[in-house]
Amino acid sequence: MTPEDVAARLAALRVAGAELRRRPARSVIDALASVLERWRDPLGPERRALEDRLPGVTGFSAETVRQGLARALAPWSGDALRALAERELGRSGDFAAGYEATAVLLAGSIPMPTLLAVIAPLALRSPVLVKTAARDPLTAPLAARSIAAIDPALSACVEVVSFPGSDGPCTDAFLAADCVVATGSDATIDAVAARVGPEQRLLRHGHRLSVALLGPEATEGRALEEAARGIALDASLWDQLGCLSPVAVYVAADTPSCQRVFASLADALAEIGGRLPRGAVDPAAAALAAHERSGVELRAAAGRPVALRAAPDASWTVVCEEDASPRPAPLHRFLRVHPSGSVEALFAALAPIARHLAGASRAGFGDDTSRVEDRLRALGATWICAPGELQCPPLSWPRDGLAPLGSLVRA
Amino acid sequence: MSAGTADPARAQLDATVIAWAREPVWRRDDARFEELALALFAFQFERCAPYRRFCRERGRTPGDVRRWQDVPTVPTGAFKELALTSFPRERAVHAFHTSGSSLVARGALHLDTLAVYEASLASSFARHVLPDLAPGAKARFCVLAPSRREAPDSSLSHMFDTMVEAVGASTSGHWVADGALDAERAVRELDQLYREEEQTVALCGTAFAFVHLLEELERRALRFALPPGVRVMETGGFKGRSRSLPRQELYSWIGDRLGVPPERIVNQYGMTELGSQFYDSVLRHPREPRRKLAPPWTRVRLLDASRGAEVAPGATGRIAILDLANTGSVCALETADLGRALEDGFDVLGREAGAEERGCSVAADALLADAGS
Repeated sequence: MTPEDVAARLAALRVAGAELRRRPARSVIDALASVLERWRDPLGPERRALEDRLPGVTGFSAETVRQGLARALAPWSGDALRALAERELGRSGDFAAGYEATAVLLAGSIPMPTLLAVIAPLALRSPVLVKTAARDPLTAPLAARSIAAIDPALSACVEVVSFPGSDGPCTDAFLAADCVVATGSDATIDAVAARVGPEQRLLRHGHRLSVALLGPEATEGRALEEAARGIALDASLWDQLGCLSPVAVYVAADTPSCQRVFASLADALAEIGGRLPRGAVDPAAAALAAHERSGVELRAAAGRPVALRAAPDASWTVVCEEDASPRPAPLHRFLRVHPSGSVEALFAALAPIARHLAGASRAGFGDDTSRVEDRLRALGATWICAPGELQCPPLSWPRDGLAPLGSLVRA
Repeated sequence: MSAGTADPARAQLDATVIAWAREPVWRRDDARFEELALALFAFQFERCAPYRRFCRERGRTPGDVRRWQDVPTVPTGAFKELALTSFPRERAVHAFHTSGSSLVARGALHLDTLAVYEASLASSFARHVLPDLAPGAKARFCVLAPSRREAPDSSLSHMFDTMVEAVGASTSGHWVADGALDAERAVRELDQLYREEEQTVALCGTAFAFVHLLEELERRALRFALPPGVRVMETGGFKGRSRSLPRQELYSWIGDRLGVPPERIVNQYGMTELGSQFYDSVLRHPREPRRKLAPPWTRVRLLDASRGAEVAPGATGRIAILDLANTGSVCALETADLGRALEDGFDVLGREAGAEERGCSVAADALLADAGS
């Protein structure tokens, strides 16, 4: 693809956008609601195509993709979109509009953010130019295909392009849109920001992480088993690579409680590994995980109060840490359990990573639950839920603090 | 006997390694290496309690280990958590610290003597960065790193200053002061280098420091065509930095702004936890493919990423190193870096800067690298 191709696609979108803005907003939102319903249908052709082909290109196991999609799409109904549009775009009987054209720079290999990124600008009648992620060339074209199946006219307002991120001229042509939604690492987003002018709208979706918090009431018995199963599921879906994947569990209780959580979590990860096999792991990630496991073994040999449990094939690892200090997160189903002693100590431990926080699951805080949630929100968590629900946020989830539709309204 | 060591067994080991490092010709000698490696393992097993327990849990004791390959390896990350020394801590005379953020513990290599470290670094640096320096001649060092006085816990600053003291011309100096690039000095001296055509000049520093220098030259719209006696030695990655770029791009940028072509740019692979370093072969063997060469008192193995077995020749694996210069700590280390064996050397693969992540979670230690910034 050449810069001229990219520029031509953007120009064509601007033309199509003029037509789109003449349509009643509600008809566009209804069409997109039907698109979401099509995706929610387990037999929907694009969803099935994605389930068939995504494992091959991303390395996720087929079952992880199937379950991940099923759980995440469940709350994304057509009605949820209509309600969201009313809430974020409703303007005394009409709906707010977006920019003349929106460019969406995708990253990663998890399909849900991609699907929403394609649909959201259209809900504001802003045509969308999408650059696929190198790691997932499938989801964006399939999203476009589903739109074409429901509303052929609307599909003229979606263009999917693909070029290497290092192609400066193509990138410049792509970033000429009035509104740019950038997803990726901080370095990628900074590079995009440097190329976007002050008159353009730039929305940033950087890399984030999530955590699980357990209070005293979730450290034994049924409550613990339930919490451990939920945390194991949240970490196993998308192989812990999503921003809503928990990388660590903080236990606001004493050391024996922490050890029970560690044991229960290991059992839960082992059990879930049988149903949701972990996918491929690139050598660098496997090397980091092995390095971290050896480090724990050495610390244990040195008499430090740490413990390790891992699958024989290293497909999951749990570490019972000696303290709440942050340590590397190798991902790919590698969880650390940190003792925090108290809620105060737990939040002190979270403070240094607060700016990276996307979501948190919490259980076992009893009457303190709403206080814990308030403090999590104050730290920056935008999705707070029970263990097991992290990977299925509502359509209205303000990822990175940005309203999914409202943030795209033309200023 | 080494300066800080009172242990006769240790002093003997130090003396043997220092003598080896000072030999003018590098020869691979497997029998000599194995004998010394097993002796060093037995010594460290006895003197370093955490390591001894770690080895025992793995069922490896000096009585059982017959090959250097079976000496249990310690992850480099453990130096952040434990003081791994084979001497009483009170005898430590120096500590080098790894870089890191204020949030995370920094790794530390405690030393009771610098003699082995300095003998090893001097031999490798001279051989790979200054192979054309005649005996007794001096080289000018332009160091893109703080001085040892400014950064006493930096092994890199210590290395550069050791070389400056050994073979540095009086015109040598540091272009980083008070934690920042001294741009005026750098530009002034680059202009001198360009005009005066000095014989041997080593422009050395971290890759990130070179990025700063090149950005400054770009800002000032300056380009230099440095003479052939100038070579660049760069080391380190971009983890936790605000900007990163693939090594190839860095070399092409250096070529553009400084006029130093890739065949005169040497990358060093080293780490605070190691007493020895590994350099690109480009200046030593200019007509051969670029690869890292290991000093004869070290061995490099590539391990299966998960299980720890050695990978097939040519396959990618986790880099593990047995470094006889690590007499005061633990000699067998494993890293989280990936490499590939290449005939008489190896290649460090690492993660290409700018490569896309699979997910949107903050990857691994990136979080820790920048959380404190």
